[in-house]
Amino acid sequence: MTFRARLLLGFGAVVLVPLTVFGLRIRAVMANRLTAEYQQRVAALVSVIRADLDRQSAGIALRLAALRDAIPRDNLFRTALQGGERTYLLDYAGDAMRLGGLSLLQIQDESGRIVSSGHFRNEYDRSDPAVPRLLATAPAGTALVEARTAEAPFLALARVDSLRVGGRRFTLVGGIAVDSSFLAHLTPDSELTVSVALPPDTSSGADPATQVVSAVTVPFVTSGDSARLLRARIVVSHSLASLVALRRGVALSFFVAVLVTGLIALLLASWLSTRISRPLTALAAKTADVDMDRLDVAFDSDRSDEIGALSRLLGAMTERLRAGAARLREAERRLAMGDLARQVNHDIKNGLIPIRNVFRHLGQAAGDSPDRLAAAFRDRQATVESSISYLENLASNYARLCPQPAGESCDVNAVVRETISRVSDTGQAELRLELAEGLRPARTDALVLRRILENLIGNALDSLAARAGRVTVSTAANGQGGVRITVADTGKGMTQDELNRAFDDFYTTKPGGTGLGLSIVRRLVLDASGALRVETEPGAGSAFIVELPGETW
Amino acid sequence: MIPRHRYVIFLALFAAACRAGVPRAELPLPPPAPAPGDTTCTIAVGRAARRDTVTLAVSDPVDAGHAPLPRNDAERLVFGQLYESLIRVDCQGRPLPGLAATWEEAPGDRWAFTLRDNARFWDGAPVTARDVLASWQSHDATLAASLTVTGDRTFTVAASDAPFQRLADQALAVTKPAPGSGWPIGTGRYWMTSGDPASPDAFVAQPMARSGQPAVKIASGPTGGARDALDGGADVLITDDAATLDYARTLTGYVDVPLEWSRTYVLLAPGRDKSVIGDLRLESLREAVHGDARPAEWSGPGRFWFADLHSCAQAGRDTLGASARRHRIVYNQSDRSAADLAARLVGLGVLGRGAVAAGVPASAFESSLRAGSDAAYVLELRRQVYDVCRAALELPPWSSAATIEPLLDVRSHAVVRRGTPRMTLDWDGTLRLAPP
Repeated sequence: MTFRARLLLGFGAVVLVPLTVFGLRIRAVMANRLTAEYQQRVAALVSVIRADLDRQSAGIALRLAALRDAIPRDNLFRTALQGGERTYLLDYAGDAMRLGGLSLLQIQDESGRIVSSGHFRNEYDRSDPAVPRLLATAPAGTALVEARTAEAPFLALARVDSLRVGGRRFTLVGGIAVDSSFLAHLTPDSELTVSVALPPDTSSGADPATQVVSAVTVPFVTSGDSARLLRARIVVSHSLASLVALRRGVALSFFVAVLVTGLIALLLASWLSTRISRPLTALAAKTADVDMDRLDVAFDSDRSDEIGALSRLLGAMTERLRAGAARLREAERRLAMGDLARQVNHDIKNGLIPIRNVFRHLGQAAGDSPDRLAAAFRDRQATVESSISYLENLASNYARLCPQPAGESCDVNAVVRETISRVSDTGQAELRLELAEGLRPARTDALVLRRILENLIGNALDSLAARAGRVTVSTAANGQGGVRITVADTGKGMTQDELNRAFDDFYTTKPGGTGLGLSIVRRLVLDASGALRVETEPGAGSAFIVELPGETW
Repeated sequence: MIPRHRYVIFLALFAAACRAGVPRAELPLPPPAPAPGDTTCTIAVGRAARRDTVTLAVSDPVDAGHAPLPRNDAERLVFGQLYESLIRVDCQGRPLPGLAATWEEAPGDRWAFTLRDNARFWDGAPVTARDVLASWQSHDATLAASLTVTGDRTFTVAASDAPFQRLADQALAVTKPAPGSGWPIGTGRYWMTSGDPASPDAFVAQPMARSGQPAVKIASGPTGGARDALDGGADVLITDDAATLDYARTLTGYVDVPLEWSRTYVLLAPGRDKSVIGDLRLESLREAVHGDARPAEWSGPGRFWFADLHSCAQAGRDTLGASARRHRIVYNQSDRSAADLAARLVGLGVLGRGAVAAGVPASAFESSLRAGSDAAYVLELRRQVYDVCRAALELPPWSSAATIEPLLDVRSHAVVRRGTPRMTLDWDGTLRLAPP
């Protein structure tokens, strides 16, 4: 994971996690407080409903008591009971119900037969003794009753009372309708809902997850032949819709806040990480450029922070490396000079020994038989000349180790052509030139370049080992303002071990080779501020690529 | 092999036997001259005092669009003053001259009629035989097709199986369209003027001839306003409201005259399923309604007319499928007695537990009744009809294969102020102001 990614993640975590936790906490606290408030409101309304039911029950009792007193005094009612105008009897409960502000009124005789019904006039003569009997046993004498009408049943809060007329006992069942308006009247708040849950399902359908629910238990008298006294519930529920909406709003706000904050954090982290990682990346790039041959990379920095310190440390380290490399080169040079001295000593001795032997022979001949001195000289002249030639050649080779390059503009293609023209014997090899047109001049010494090319072309021709093959010399711009010269052959190529040692002094695989050719080439190229690399494959050939700096226009 | 001529003889004998088995309505005798003291079908309360206007108060709505066929007692009272059929039938069932002054049997099983000499439309145009034909063509194409114009005021009508009295049906009253007016032009002794904008529920009918007859003002209002009408000096109040009648009986200037049992409430249920009706105790129904009612009973020969609908060729078959019907007893919500009866039926458990009574607007009631989409209907039917098959057309097509259970007979009362001009009562309950 990159430093930038880690920085982004860290920044996000530092900003977003606390914000999210804060938001969730706010939501939870808000929900808990509102729910508690709703529960208090529901509980308060339950108390109010209990009191209201008691008040309504007392009111019904008062109205029934008034009827209980009025009916015996009504002569028409009394007469109707004794076979008089029955229509009066049938209409009595309806009129009394309306005048008394009731929604349900039933007058039953002692057998439970309906004598007069206000809410359902034409149910007269029906027997329904269970309702008053069960009402009488209900706690507080009040219960919800499922009353019947011609059109539809309705629910009523009812009480029972009784009276005697003409020696007969009658039962009064009176009540008020528990309908939607009644329930709506119970709740002053539109967010509070009052409903009635009747057996067998007393759940009222309220979902506790979406509502705060409480209930008042009320006795309930079922209708029909199998009338029973059960328990119904008046359920008070407070919708949590507003809370849910509030939560959604808060969640949305927090989501937007998290999103915006995250975006800002992302941009900030990106900017910060860029600010931090850019000098590091540049430092890494500079560090990657450091090589034993390139220790001139500058790590100067005026930053006062850790990156500046690191840069300066790297600069100091490079400086030390540069000094170390110089000492190493000096050591190598001294070592090479020692080796060279020993080699020169050895080589010169090898050249001088035949000469000394010849002169020893000539001295002996001059002493022993002077007349044979001339013959002896003639016999040994070739040896002396050969040794002198050897020494001259040796001197020439050593002289090549210390050229004095001149930094001047050099037409590479011209030097290549001139060098090629000096090659007299190519054997079976084909020598090919692929010179780029309009090639920019290189900044190097032409003599140095010719020595480089002579060595590389000679090595290439030698690698063919008198077999048919091809040596290609090509030039091209290297894309960095310099010149690339490639000497490629189709010779035997080099193994990795041979390649590792190819540039060592005096290492050679050729019979009669000095082992200094490639060493000289490498040194000459580096002295010309160029670069040399080799691409080789055993059995396929090698390509020596020389990169030389271009002339500044 | 039976010879072909024997087929012909057999078919001829069979046709003759069938023809003989269906007796043709006999031509009634010309009406006897009314005896001076014959007040059988007359309502007269005290000595008639001279009045310029007689006020008739009704509690049912009056709709000119229904003319000349009345749909309720109020319209029957109003239309009876305005429109005439060929004949009238008095409360005893005796045919009396109406638009036709005389009639006699004509050759070819036909009846020949002669129109009244002074028969005129409200616009003054004399009534001709062609006017009768044109009017009938818009009301009864079959009957119109049997009419042959024989003179300016004479025509013949083919005798049929229907009783002669059916020609007194208000649906056959002779009218002609009145462009620009909701009231068709009739031939009665009164013509309807435009209503009073100040009192849209009141109509004024003026006498056609200046013969000393008073104008007639018809005041239509709700039942609760009936007592106010009496307090306001209405001459005749037609009502079936018990409370109003109780109040009227306390007024010394008025007399309560019960009219004929003119309507019967029935329970109409698709299908011939007696279990739907159960064992109804009709006597317990009488107290369910607030008007003057009695358990349904047919006092004449035979049965209620709606018990024989299957004999009408035009009566449709039960085309109702076995689709689920709503478990309710439906009634017209403007009919209070129907509402009481439906409630009582529910109270008695007709249709079983869970059935309810449902009052719906008149239009919804009509469409439900036509579709037969409910379990049962409570509706009122006329007790007396001149033509069963014509009356059957007012019922849904599936009625001929349905259960029609008569429940209650009801009647209205005429509360008549003393000194009000004499009125006559026809067989179908139509009250008419008698000429002085």
